[in-house]
Amino acid sequence: MGEVILKMKEISKAFPGVQALDKVDFEVKRGEVHALMGENGAGKSTLMKVLTGIYAKDSGTITFEGKEVEFHNTRDAQKAGIVIVHQELNMLGHLTVAQNIFIGREFKKGIRIDDRKMNEETKKLFDRLHIDIEPTETMSNLTVGKQQMCEIAKAISHDAKVIVFDEPSAALTETEIEELFKIIRDLRKQQIGIVYISHRMDEIKVITDRVTVMRDGCYVGTLITEECTKDDIINMMVGRVIYENPKEKSMVAEDAPVVLKVEHLNAGKMVRDVSFELRKGEILGFSGLMGAGRTETARAIFGADAKESGDIYVNGQKVEINSPEEAVKCGIGYLSEDRKRYGIVVHKTVAENSTMACLGDYVRGLFINKKAERNISQDYVNSLATKTPGVDELVVNLSGGNQQKVVIAKWLIRDCDILIFDEPTRGIDVGAKNEIYKLMNRLASEGKSIIMISSEMTEILRMSDRIVVMCEGKKTGEISIEEASQESIMNMATREIG
Amino acid sequence: MNNREKSSSLAEIRGNFGRLGGVKLGKIKHNPIVKKLGFNRIILCCVLVLMYVLFCFTGKNFAGLPRILSALNYVYFLGFLSLGVTFVIGTGGIDFSIGPVMFCAALVSGFCLTSHGMPVLLCLLISILVGTMFGIFNGYLVSYWSVPPFIVSMASMNIAKGVASVFTKTQSVSWPQGVDANGWFRKLIKVGDFPVGLVIFLVFAVICSVILNKTRAGRYILSLGSNKEAVRLSGVNVRKWEMLAYVICGTMAGIAAIFFVAAYTTVQPGYGDTYNNEAIAGCVMGGTSMAGGLASIGGTVIGVFIIALLQEGILALGFTKDYQLIITGLIVIGAVYADVVARRRRN
Repeated sequence: MGEVILKMKEISKAFPGVQALDKVDFEVKRGEVHALMGENGAGKSTLMKVLTGIYAKDSGTITFEGKEVEFHNTRDAQKAGIVIVHQELNMLGHLTVAQNIFIGREFKKGIRIDDRKMNEETKKLFDRLHIDIEPTETMSNLTVGKQQMCEIAKAISHDAKVIVFDEPSAALTETEIEELFKIIRDLRKQQIGIVYISHRMDEIKVITDRVTVMRDGCYVGTLITEECTKDDIINMMVGRVIYENPKEKSMVAEDAPVVLKVEHLNAGKMVRDVSFELRKGEILGFSGLMGAGRTETARAIFGADAKESGDIYVNGQKVEINSPEEAVKCGIGYLSEDRKRYGIVVHKTVAENSTMACLGDYVRGLFINKKAERNISQDYVNSLATKTPGVDELVVNLSGGNQQKVVIAKWLIRDCDILIFDEPTRGIDVGAKNEIYKLMNRLASEGKSIIMISSEMTEILRMSDRIVVMCEGKKTGEISIEEASQESIMNMATREIG
Repeated sequence: MNNREKSSSLAEIRGNFGRLGGVKLGKIKHNPIVKKLGFNRIILCCVLVLMYVLFCFTGKNFAGLPRILSALNYVYFLGFLSLGVTFVIGTGGIDFSIGPVMFCAALVSGFCLTSHGMPVLLCLLISILVGTMFGIFNGYLVSYWSVPPFIVSMASMNIAKGVASVFTKTQSVSWPQGVDANGWFRKLIKVGDFPVGLVIFLVFAVICSVILNKTRAGRYILSLGSNKEAVRLSGVNVRKWEMLAYVICGTMAGIAAIFFVAAYTTVQPGYGDTYNNEAIAGCVMGGTSMAGGLASIGGTVIGVFIIALLQEGILALGFTKDYQLIITGLIVIGAVYADVVARRRRN
């Protein structure tokens, strides 16, 4: 680790009604990987947005390479050598890798774009980073992980001195994360300062040198990663130690009836001949790598996407499900992995979102019975401990975990007995995550049956009664929680079946 | 202040008011009464009154009842178009066919009256029916076939014009005058000097507002405008509700046709597209977001009044109809830009 390259001192930023940042200190040294942690809404992103000039700070100073600086937009920051690698990818799918990396600053030969030179430069860049991607490959043919590598390469090609990674691993598989870490270690060797934002505790321990924790817009403290434990960090983040205990054996009764049976389901390339059973009160984990076809399977069952063949039985009865409407009628609810896009309606209130799936029950004559709607919503806000100023609050103003609870409430109010939770804790902070776990266990014990799709191995092992593993659209294994281990699941997740 | 400045300042008021006032404005905005009425709507009302006063001082013979009644004639048919299109814009769609559909409805029903001697009441119903048919056509294509609303409504705009021309053999149609036995329908807008039309229009506005805010249809229409996929995945038949918005819009265009002929009697085939812009301007100015999900009937009503007053005022100031086109065009851009700015600030 070298000297301090970036120092943010007593940064404050207020939005109407909220003190988003309150005198926050943060620094990065050359050749250091510095984790920035905190629950959702702790102010991590705001701090990084102040750093890169997206927000103007109210007070405080930013010192970069010994000089006080103030950026007015991301381009200013980029020029100085501070870049962000965003969680969402900003790549154009129909262009080649090289064209994407040099977009906006293409090499020219006369008035023509010099593709050959761009390819050569990209190759050089990739070699330096030990990335194995062909510069002439079309971007959309790459996996999410590879695309992320390109994004990182692009950031570095801007001659970056400080790189901010905003939850880079959220969409990556275990192997891709390994590759990412290799690159990060390389960058560290090259004396680049790295800010690493992530919710995944395991990664923090593996890759970072120091951890700075924020809570409610305030600086809590900085630890040296080697010298602290997971619990130390969690304690600083939430001010209390909590973790739902992992499951050691199945909680499902021997004679629990089968509530959902799927036979030989086929839908597109990603769902090939999938069969499984779900029993009453069971949490059935769906494990597998990114792109294994788990979400596609769920969507096909739910009728969100068309299926080609296969039979679905609910409580022993064969059902035809060709649209979400029919699925909901069968008592199936689906929590999407992408809450913002598929879960909540941002312009509507908590109450209005809660009754979205069964508004018909809250109509009296021609009109919506808003009082009843508010009451039922309030009941579920109480029982799920959703943090909201009130049921009339716009759902967009809630934090990720609480939005998730509103979506769960939507299905509970609809009285769905079969719930498909697709990555239920993605992008949710530790405290809220734990509450979601508790809630799922409670629902299961109350007789609801849950399919939980998750890419986090620890989550699968902590929550499931039984685990189905998929790989490339096929079911490659099924294992009970008693027999399951990380290794056995990983084995099945990478196994090819002819 | 000339008219062109006027129109751009309108947009500015909508776009910049948040920045102009600072703390004091913030206080006013959070006053419970203001919140209930809607800050934007109060501003719009002020603009409306200001415009009227301005025209009274600068225009020739602008003050007085005749001008108001004349402006109201414009309000009626435009108002119905605007109310209808509010639903469609609420779903995040758009309908560019409403003006020509209104003309088509007026021409087809008028032709039935003048050339086939059908009873007036039946002809009025035919007018509404024609509008509804176009609504069903647009709505079905948009929601069940997923054809972009922009394309669908552009195409049906031309279809409406064509149908009207074919039906009337490219002749204009004159509905009966008020003194005729068949002219009773003109009382729909005015009995003596009493503006019956205004009452009917406001009643319809209230009904629309109730539909939008208090019924399942309105809830789903706005919700799917905000996030269609989320609503679909909640097990809602989004196609049905999306189509309904277009059907309401078409029916409203059919009703607008009645009020158009009640005010102006004569309809010519091949026209009507200028009213698209005006209706959409009134709607968006009133706070309905082009991105869908947010709509305000109250705002639309005020927006319509402003547009109608502007049309009247421009003529009173001695400008030709061409200037009306220019100014309404600028207003549409201004209002939509203000919406874009507001959305960006929200994010």
